[in-house]
Amino acid sequence: MISSTLLLQLTSLYLFIMGLVLIFLRRNTLVILLGIELLLNSANLLLVTYSKMHHVLDGQLQVFFVITIAAAESAIGLSIVVNLFRNFGSVKTSQTKTLLG
Amino acid sequence: MENNQFILLILCLVAVVFSTLMVFFRNPLSVALSLLMVLLASGGIYGLMGEHMVAAIQLVVYAGAIMVLFIFAIMLLNMKEEEHEKNNTPTIFMGVLAGLMILLGVGAFFIEADKNFMAPQAGPFTSNLMEQLGGNTKVLAHALFSQGFIPFEAISLALLVAIVGAVVLAKRKFDQ
Repeated sequence: MISSTLLLQLTSLYLFIMGLVLIFLRRNTLVILLGIELLLNSANLLLVTYSKMHHVLDGQLQVFFVITIAAAESAIGLSIVVNLFRNFGSVKTSQTKTLLG
Repeated sequence: MENNQFILLILCLVAVVFSTLMVFFRNPLSVALSLLMVLLASGGIYGLMGEHMVAAIQLVVYAGAIMVLFIFAIMLLNMKEEEHEKNNTPTIFMGVLAGLMILLGVGAFFIEADKNFMAPQAGPFTSNLMEQLGGNTKVLAHALFSQGFIPFEAISLALLVAIVGAVVLAKRKFDQ
């Protein structure tokens, strides 16, 4: 069948597109943050695949840093979402606005 | 190996199916749990490819800490199903069209690059060499503390900033 590296590259591409579609089409702020996590995970998968394909270590090292930064960024993002809920009463993107019009 | 290829296919299929389900669920808790399944499948793929340290870090940090934080936030804000906003058909159509275009374009590039794939000659770290040197974790740790030393210190600084920022954001009062 198809080689394993091609299968992994196509899986990573599909996960990336699903993350993008989540960010485009959903109106709940927390679901948009979940889409961002899916994007980061797909990039991790691609980095690890290429690192295995060319027998170097740089990809795995980079994945280590990306996972750590994703953890930090999701903590801050969730604090922001909780603050949004405190101020506006909901987290839907159509209701968190103060500009008139 | 035939067995390896089959398990890899199963794990990739699980990841693809659950990521597609994520787009269609209306309840935010279902979306978070589908993402958890995608992360578990990715961790399995990393373990299958022989990167044991990355698989362990993915399971402990991503699936074990970040997803728990998300589920805490969903339960704290008591998010039920989204109320049925009317289906904005042009927006959905444009989203699906954009996704399809990226899939076909980049997918064609990947398939074409795989046809003309030459044997890679860069890099010495085949799995045999890594097993000789003491396993994937040992080699990766050696590379982290020698070659990636400055990013390692920068990451600890970034985590400190994130902790301070999260505490400040959670404490702020807006009533004046």
